[in-house]
Amino acid sequence: MTDRRYETLVLIHPEQGEPGTAELIDKIRKLIEEQGGAVTQVQNWGSRELAYPVAKQRRGFYALFEYRAGIRGLQEIGRNLTLMDPVLRFVSLQQDENAPPAPVRHLRKPEDEHPAEDEDQGEGFGEGEGGER
Amino acid sequence: MMTKDRPERAVGRGPRRRGMGRRKVCRFCADKSLSIDYKDSRLLGTFVSERGKLIPGRITGTCARHQRRLTVAIKQARTMALLPYTTAYP
Repeated sequence: MTDRRYETLVLIHPEQGEPGTAELIDKIRKLIEEQGGAVTQVQNWGSRELAYPVAKQRRGFYALFEYRAGIRGLQEIGRNLTLMDPVLRFVSLQQDENAPPAPVRHLRKPEDEHPAEDEDQGEGFGEGEGGER
Repeated sequence: MMTKDRPERAVGRGPRRRGMGRRKVCRFCADKSLSIDYKDSRLLGTFVSERGKLIPGRITGTCARHQRRLTVAIKQARTMALLPYTTAYP
């Protein structure tokens, strides 16, 4: 079976707390490996404010997994994630074979009250770029 | 920006360039290192209005190819609550 590169972003219920989230991340990592996945990177983004309430929660923990797996494995991983109660949402996407691993820019401390402020890139339009020609 | 081969002409004729705004260039074409990623909510946030609606490419200057990818990325970010669907929620 051909393995492909995938990434899965998981939104975890804030009730889990720091330790519970770390445990769950470990559990998901084992789940991926059980399904024949080779995990290349796991990112814990910590607690972030949500753009809108999910399950009546305004915050949540995010974790990103990068791995190689087969199609069957991916299906199983997705099925098992839906069965995990603390997993509010997740999305699995195929990555390009030559895509660089996700940079760790999202990592922040849980007590950071203002997320989305110290990320590195992204300027608004009309900042003097693209004016040539 | 000037059109030298076309002197004074009635407005509304010729190549349509209303006003004196400068030509907008797709940011993703201008900067090849800039990738469209649903996880980069900060970058995607610059392509939605204050209400969280998608801004058409003709306003932002994004080319059709990148605008297509952008809309997909923004919708993916919305499902993961990284970007709002709308600002008006109770």
